[in-house]
Amino acid sequence: MLFSTFTTVFVAELGDKTQLATLLLSAQSGSPVLVFIGAALALISSSLVGVLVGQWLAKTLPPERLELMAGVLMVALGIWLGLQAASSLWLNAAS
Amino acid sequence: MDFPLLISTFLTVFLAELGDKTQLATVAISGTSNRPLAVFLGSSSALVLASLLGAFAGGSVATVIPSDLLQLLASVGFLVIGGRLLVPLVRDGEANSDGDQTSES
Repeated sequence: MLFSTFTTVFVAELGDKTQLATLLLSAQSGSPVLVFIGAALALISSSLVGVLVGQWLAKTLPPERLELMAGVLMVALGIWLGLQAASSLWLNAAS
Repeated sequence: MDFPLLISTFLTVFLAELGDKTQLATVAISGTSNRPLAVFLGSSSALVLASLLGAFAGGSVATVIPSDLLQLLASVGFLVIGGRLLVPLVRDGEANSDGDQTSES
């Protein structure tokens, strides 16, 4: 569970890192370490919020309903991400 | 210690991550497993490592591995997790309807 969460979140976030990298680079003249600490704390808090919301939902909803919702959400995110990446690859190839 | 910089970075990144796909994935994985600590450790270590890579490698990560390719890889990951959740549900549904059709046992 630890490993699969790690890989999924890591790969998903790496592709999304340009934004954060720009932020960190833009602060490179100042104090990048401080910016990294701030970003890391924010990311840890956001995953804590995610876990807590998930646990709360698990208590509130029947497990089968939640599994269905989570499964549909994951598949939808997968399709959306895949389409975005594919269309961007296509555009790059065309230009 | 430049606290305004720390706080503004924290708020910017925190707000940007709220409702982001990685947080949605964390909600989904946490809700459907009974190992909240493992999910929290996996998710936060991945996020911190990814931002560390972003900080040190900067833009070069995106030039070594195209971000589109990473996104494509991530989408496969999401599909696999979603499929793992949905396939047993569909199987159970079929098993239940089979049971209804054949007998009460």
